[in-house]
Amino acid sequence: MRNKPCVYITGSIITRKRPQKVKVKFLKKFMKDNKYLLLSISSVLVVLFVWYLCVDVLQVTYQSVFPGPIKCFQTLIKKLYTSSPDGATLLQNLLASLEVAMLGYVLGAVVGIPLGIMMAWNKWVDRFVRPLFDLIRPIPGIAWIPLFLVMFGIGITSKAMVIFLNSMIACTVNAYSGIQQTSELHLWVGDVFGASDRQKLFKIAIPTATPMIFTGLRVALGTSWTALIAAELLASNKGLGYMIQNGSAICRPDIIIVGMLTIGVVGLIFDVLLHRVEIRVTKGMNAE
Amino acid sequence: MSVEQERNLIKCTHVYKSFQTPTGEHPVVNDFNLQAKENEFLVLFGPGQCGKTTLINLIAGLDNATSGAIEINGNKVKGPSPERGVVFQDISLFPWLTTMGNVEYGPKMAGMSKKSRREKAHHYINLVGLQGFENSFPSQLSGGMKQRVGIARAYCIEPRVMLMDEPFGALDAQTRYLMQEELQRIWQAEKRTIVFVTNNIEEALYLADRIIVLSNCPATVKKEYVIDLPRPRKYVSPEFLSLRKEITSIINKYVVSEAENE
Amino acid sequence: MKKKFIPQNIISVLCGIASIFAFVIFWFIYTNGSTLGKMIPRPDVVIISLFKDIFNPIGQHTLLIHVCYSMYRVLVGYVIGSIVGIILGLAMGWSKVVEAIFSPLFRIIRPIPPIAWIPISIIWLGLGENAKIFLIFLASFSNVTLNAWTGAKNVDPKLIGASQMLGARKSQIFFTIVLPASIPQIFAGLQVALSSCWGTILAAEMVRSSEGLGWIIVTGGNNNDMKQILVGIVTIGIVGFILAVIMRKLEAVLCRWNKSGT
Repeated sequence: MRNKPCVYITGSIITRKRPQKVKVKFLKKFMKDNKYLLLSISSVLVVLFVWYLCVDVLQVTYQSVFPGPIKCFQTLIKKLYTSSPDGATLLQNLLASLEVAMLGYVLGAVVGIPLGIMMAWNKWVDRFVRPLFDLIRPIPGIAWIPLFLVMFGIGITSKAMVIFLNSMIACTVNAYSGIQQTSELHLWVGDVFGASDRQKLFKIAIPTATPMIFTGLRVALGTSWTALIAAELLASNKGLGYMIQNGSAICRPDIIIVGMLTIGVVGLIFDVLLHRVEIRVTKGMNAE
Repeated sequence: MSVEQERNLIKCTHVYKSFQTPTGEHPVVNDFNLQAKENEFLVLFGPGQCGKTTLINLIAGLDNATSGAIEINGNKVKGPSPERGVVFQDISLFPWLTTMGNVEYGPKMAGMSKKSRREKAHHYINLVGLQGFENSFPSQLSGGMKQRVGIARAYCIEPRVMLMDEPFGALDAQTRYLMQEELQRIWQAEKRTIVFVTNNIEEALYLADRIIVLSNCPATVKKEYVIDLPRPRKYVSPEFLSLRKEITSIINKYVVSEAENE
Repeated sequence: MKKKFIPQNIISVLCGIASIFAFVIFWFIYTNGSTLGKMIPRPDVVIISLFKDIFNPIGQHTLLIHVCYSMYRVLVGYVIGSIVGIILGLAMGWSKVVEAIFSPLFRIIRPIPPIAWIPISIIWLGLGENAKIFLIFLASFSNVTLNAWTGAKNVDPKLIGASQMLGARKSQIFFTIVLPASIPQIFAGLQVALSSCWGTILAAEMVRSSEGLGWIIVTGGNNNDMKQILVGIVTIGIVGFILAVIMRKLEAVLCRWNKSGT
């Protein structure tokens, strides 16, 4: 078989094979280096595919009861520029949610972190604040909503207060933990060098507590986002939570799913961003 | 086989190890060559931060050399294994296990029956002088005691080679002398090949059959000394002191001045 | 926890009582006769109502029975969620492959609050107990998985190296090292999850129920009965507090090797 074709054919086979071989090698290397990333992407695709199978192909439920991914995707695109049926486009809802979440979150951090530090640093503050704290802590954010609705009405304030409570608790607890973990040894070293109480607090304890404070910020961000949606589901007229509630009320499960996925993806983005910031800030602060 | 080739248990040839840092490649071990015979007490002696821990990790198989060969009994080292017991600098006991739990861990993993591994563990716990503390957790033990558990744990798997990375570094002076005597006694009772890392010249002279002096980072062999003194050695005997003086001056000449020239 | 001298302990308790008392007084002053007080009942009204409800039924059951209904739902969802969470979290922390497959899904699902799942859970599981338990399951699963994941991922590599040196195979390393080392983290996760689940009971019982603490609050809201709402909130707070204290005591017992650890 090889004898018949003359050099011309063999020549072209040789020259044509080379670039192809290189391409295959490159692809293999790419797959090997990024195998985890590819695995992650594939698993998401598999879930989407199974979803598609169950609803569109096998018709396990009706489209009107639980829509397939294609319908949801169409709704997503539509929602990007239509404000029906709940009065705002997806982006407007998202921004409204973000606005309130950020407000409550930042306030909670601004109050919670110093509070946690003071509680861990000063015994008297701890004795007076801790019992109240421990009693308020188990009460779920959304349980406060009826109370806040009465006190502040439907509006940003009641929701922000719920977020504020959630965020403050997480930040306080972690800041407290962080200061508590400051090694006695380090503080004694401060004493040896004649550091005043204030200097010990600011130059030793707080830097040591910074990683835990950041953990607290990360946790607080997560719970703030979650609490906000919960608050909006009960007492709001705009925002992602409201969008879901509205979707539920008018029997549009596709809107519900689009809303839920948006919440999830935004939460994921937040988490990733904060994680990056955390790594940068705590790079030099590896407390032994 | 000539007499010289009599059982080189450990053989390191042209070992080179470097780490990738943001500022580029950072060589830690450079052209390291070593031969150790069976049941020899070998001490790697060098200044701080010269790569001694990396060397131990390489021989133990906990890390891979960038180039060069490390062989135990003719076989290339591929990963950690019970034939090379390690006593770590920071002890690394399993905090959720008692002394007994830590010491019998090796035989337990190998599938030994409860009775025999308990017996074995008892033997080594007694050997290191910790009888009575079998049910204590590491958090309840002092530094010296924890280190002894570490030694018992490594001994219990009866490795061919014991690698000890500055095991007494974190102890106070008195405990340290005590532990040196103990180790001496243990080694004479049950002989093994030991590679012992230290930066304390007294410790090196007290324990070693052979001292290998390492340079500053990147670590390489500078000089070798065979220590012939009878055991147990006396820290203040004239031979001991003169050896100490000799080695210290050599070190000052080669190692310290090198550091100053950098 | 350090053992405090008796006087110190009494001081702490006294301060606690004092501050709670101060809070109640503040509440009383704020709501006594003011416009706000027309909508929010005074603390004494709430407390009396609370005690009354222990004997007089709200709806079909007395307060304590409502607590039991809620507790049952929370416990079932909590236990199932924790078991699944521990298994998945440990698997993700141990195997990079499992992590790559499940982590994107997990990280997208986690931020979605259980309450947002109500419509979907009704579709999937109907209006009965299962939908409520499913919401609790979500709350517990999210927290426990995260902690088990980080716990398993952050096991001290030196301990793993030590266990390899002692001869443990991969599966043995998982069960004898990774699992015990992750327990403190897992336990922290279990504590957070319990509080989280207890907090979610309110959302869960919004799914068509006729008993439970959440139901008390929701019907109170529907009937504009602030007294009932506050009774519900206070009860949730008290029971949640008791649960948290129990968990803390459990942790002190189970993780005693972690105390005063170096």
